[in-house]
Amino acid sequence: MNLTSRFAAPIGSLAAAALFAILSAAPARADAPLTVVYQGQSIRFSHVDSKGGAPAIGVGDPGFAALLRSTDAVLTWKPGERYVLITTSVPTVVSFAIGDRRYDIGPIVLQAAFAPYQRGNEAYLPLNEVLRGLDLALREDGATKVLQPQLASLEVRALRDRVTLLAHGGAPLHPRVIAQSASAVTYAFDGVGTALVGTRQINTGGVRSVQVTASGTVRAPVTTVIVALAPGAAARAPQNNGERDVVLAVTAGKASPQSVAEESPTPEPEPSGTENAGNASEANASGPAIVTSVSSQASDSGVIVTVAVNGNASFTWHRLRDPDNRFWVDVKNAQLQGPPIDQAAPSPVISMRARQIDAATVRVALTLGQSNAITVSPSSNGLQIQVGNDAVSDDAARSGSGTIGSIVSSGEQNPAPVTPAPADNAPADNGTTDTGGWKFGPRSSYVPANPRLIVIDPGHGGSDSGTEHGGLKEADLTLDMARRLRDILVARGWEVKLTREADVDVYAPNDSAHDELQARVDVANKAGARLFVSVHANAFINSGPSGTTCYISKPEDVPLGHMIEAQLAQDGTKDDGVIKAHYYVTYHTRMPAVLIETAFLTNPTDYALLASAAWRQKVAQEIADGIGQYTRAYPASNQGAQ
Amino acid sequence: MRSPRFPLLVALLVIVAAAYWYVHSRRAANGETIAVYHTKLDGTSLGVIRVSMRPRAPGESAAEHLHNEALYAAVEAVTGPPSDVNAIRFPPGTHVRSVAIDGATATVDLSKDVETQAGGSFGENGEFKALVYTVTGLPGIDAVQVTVDGSRLETLPGGHLELDQPLRRSDW
Repeated sequence: MNLTSRFAAPIGSLAAAALFAILSAAPARADAPLTVVYQGQSIRFSHVDSKGGAPAIGVGDPGFAALLRSTDAVLTWKPGERYVLITTSVPTVVSFAIGDRRYDIGPIVLQAAFAPYQRGNEAYLPLNEVLRGLDLALREDGATKVLQPQLASLEVRALRDRVTLLAHGGAPLHPRVIAQSASAVTYAFDGVGTALVGTRQINTGGVRSVQVTASGTVRAPVTTVIVALAPGAAARAPQNNGERDVVLAVTAGKASPQSVAEESPTPEPEPSGTENAGNASEANASGPAIVTSVSSQASDSGVIVTVAVNGNASFTWHRLRDPDNRFWVDVKNAQLQGPPIDQAAPSPVISMRARQIDAATVRVALTLGQSNAITVSPSSNGLQIQVGNDAVSDDAARSGSGTIGSIVSSGEQNPAPVTPAPADNAPADNGTTDTGGWKFGPRSSYVPANPRLIVIDPGHGGSDSGTEHGGLKEADLTLDMARRLRDILVARGWEVKLTREADVDVYAPNDSAHDELQARVDVANKAGARLFVSVHANAFINSGPSGTTCYISKPEDVPLGHMIEAQLAQDGTKDDGVIKAHYYVTYHTRMPAVLIETAFLTNPTDYALLASAAWRQKVAQEIADGIGQYTRAYPASNQGAQ
Repeated sequence: MRSPRFPLLVALLVIVAAAYWYVHSRRAANGETIAVYHTKLDGTSLGVIRVSMRPRAPGESAAEHLHNEALYAAVEAVTGPPSDVNAIRFPPGTHVRSVAIDGATATVDLSKDVETQAGGSFGENGEFKALVYTVTGLPGIDAVQVTVDGSRLETLPGGHLELDQPLRRSDW
């Protein structure tokens, strides 16, 4: 036995123990309280410690709790837990781990002066790093310590025809333009200091450079951002995107040789591996590549999808994880020859689509039956996408890129995308709406006691008016639409029962949501109704979302949901499709059921529709038509003639 | 007389310490990632951001590690993606108070801020879909029981989603 083998284990243990002790040992003493001034208020930190000269703060400190409250941040930790997580108002998660110097601010991984530690039932965190996570910095104003809000980041997003500077601060940002000329614009951010002082050369998108300087006093700091402009470039007025975020945008002059095609107004972050889009543009000086055809062919090992491309192009491909088994490839700087393609494909592929998603990108998307293995092979005249019968391994690449044409490259595969995958923007355009795998719902085995009875549930009512917007109450609208639907169905020979006939609670005023919803379910279940249709109006925290959605819960709800949604797609609102959800009324009713969110009260266009009696009549008519279509296709076993 | 082996032992100690540091730092660099989902503004499709975790610490049991992961995942899911990503988000102020694991079910206790929904089912459905997909992405967890301020609710006030039973991916 040699020396190494004789001594390695005990020495290793000794060294590990010594290092562990060095890294995790708590200091023996607590430091004197620290008083700081934050936004004019004095905050006293009493659970203060230090390690290696750096201050530590106990998470149970009342002053620290006050600071978190004033910054709208929340700390999550219990004794014994490893992670100490601070959710800031941005919102961003600042994560610390006991015994680990690493700390994360959102996706950014940093090293702290020392590792957080637990002493007794309290975790101690490195104070300077906590403050950094809160976009604050500890500064001295004579003998007084001040928590100074910081201009914490100035993210430069440089495109060829413009540059946006995204400024984020630890206090509301309201930059002033204090100087402007053809060659530079100067913004002053009052009330924030910064550690970002310096000059960064940009030289694209109309911006030559960005210079950041700090001035003012500790208590009244000013951060100045000077943007040096290229000839012809124009700076837009600063735009707040939330209180603490500001966008400074510069557009290149028209004469700029670097201007490119119009960009999507709200681009989603691109997954990594897409950087070579510019290569295609260089390769294609003679014009865009042409996607001439997309075809599929079954093979022994699966399906081969062939994308024929004439010319040079780059491509990126992505796939989503099970259960959302979609794959797409974006061919850049390319034009689709002919109309969009939307067709079925041999198993294990369900459908195949191709369309021009913007001026210079053709997307070929596949919906797969399951999480199949996929190989993407570029060639001089296009791409071959081999979809295998076997399932893909969990750690297989989820995205990749390459080039097609005279310089063929399979490029890189990226096993773990770190940015959100962009949607295939046509999730419901192929009849394969994500309903948890229920592409075609089964026939219901439910036998209705009264096969001619349909129960209509006008959502909300009485003590619960639902959502209210601009003087319109959801409860009133749902009752109105339910009555209109009843009249149409009765005229067609159906028996109809409404769960409520007036603006009342079905169970009792101010009852629990459970009692109220169960009472509505009981109306249908006790009567042995053929179908249950709940009518609602939707809302959101902003005016963005719009459209009609049918929510379903049970497999047998699927065809009813799809047939009603197909009719409602003609009502003038956006068709948001059929969504499966564990909603109380659709889940607990024994018969096929659907909850229809007719439109968004919070969207101006939808609001105008909801306010229109003619539109509500149209909606009622379309729901009735969907019900008619369903009952003809799926007659109850004991259903009489309609 | 000093043993001639002493310098060798010191050198070995240094080498082993350096090796420990290297392995430890490599493990840290190669920590696991978890998929944090968000529901896009179409109300149904999911986006994902992968967040890197710390590797299991010395002395951290498998159960403790899973608990820590679940807490991290739930906090990230409720916080949502970076502000420039269009996503359905929990009402402002909503945060995770605690997470407990019992078998294959993670109980996520949310603050009462979650009850300040905008109305309608759009937000509610997207929020909980993202949370459930994120937490059930951890190995060994297949359901999420949501509580609010320590109590189990049947539904959110004026809500639609049934919360008194654990939620699973198959609910969507």
